[in-house]
Amino acid sequence: MNLFRSDEHAARWLEQYGYEPGATISAAKLSELAHAWWDTRLDPDWLPRSLDDSQAILDRLGLSDRFWQLAPSR
Amino acid sequence: MDELDLRVRRHVYRSFVELGRAPRADEVADELELGLDEVEASFRRLHDAHALVLERGTTRIRMANPFSTVPTPHRVQAAGRWWYANCAWDAFGICAALGVEGHISSSCPDCGEAIELDVVGQRPVPDDYAVHILVPAEHWWDDIVFT
Repeated sequence: MNLFRSDEHAARWLEQYGYEPGATISAAKLSELAHAWWDTRLDPDWLPRSLDDSQAILDRLGLSDRFWQLAPSR
Repeated sequence: MDELDLRVRRHVYRSFVELGRAPRADEVADELELGLDEVEASFRRLHDAHALVLERGTTRIRMANPFSTVPTPHRVQAAGRWWYANCAWDAFGICAALGVEGHISSSCPDCGEAIELDVVGQRPVPDDYAVHILVPAEHWWDDIVFT
């Protein structure tokens, strides 16, 4: 997961290296996701999060299409 | 994840933040008064549970996500120290985990230009950079280093 100067830079990089495009989001959205995902990581009473709870974070941020589904496709 | 694994994991993360690096298994064993075998077995279980990532075939910690133990293109200045993040997501994650604002230094893989941004109030400043995620979520852990 890399930062790019813009969507155009990401698209050019994908084409140059022949990668199948994944998902492009704004750095602001990524920061929102990171804070929701990692904010308890250093808590002394941290416990593993369930797949459903992780998916709920993605869904709440509008990252809910097929690309963002954590469970394997059926 | 049993109480021993939670205790070992807690110690790894606490040490990482204190030292700025991952502790070795023998250091964890000494400090928690456990056998080295017990700690190495715990590291492997934590790896299997995606609670940390070991270097392939070893018990050396590669990632205590969002922190990286090896240099990467994603550097974060936060809480009075420079850290390496595993990826752009983890760069923001370091600020989130530490509960502080910070500064991220990276570069655009397309053009090589430096990317410098602050994390203020949980938001990037400036906020016009883009992020690309290559790997679909269901495959993130197939090869977490590539992801």
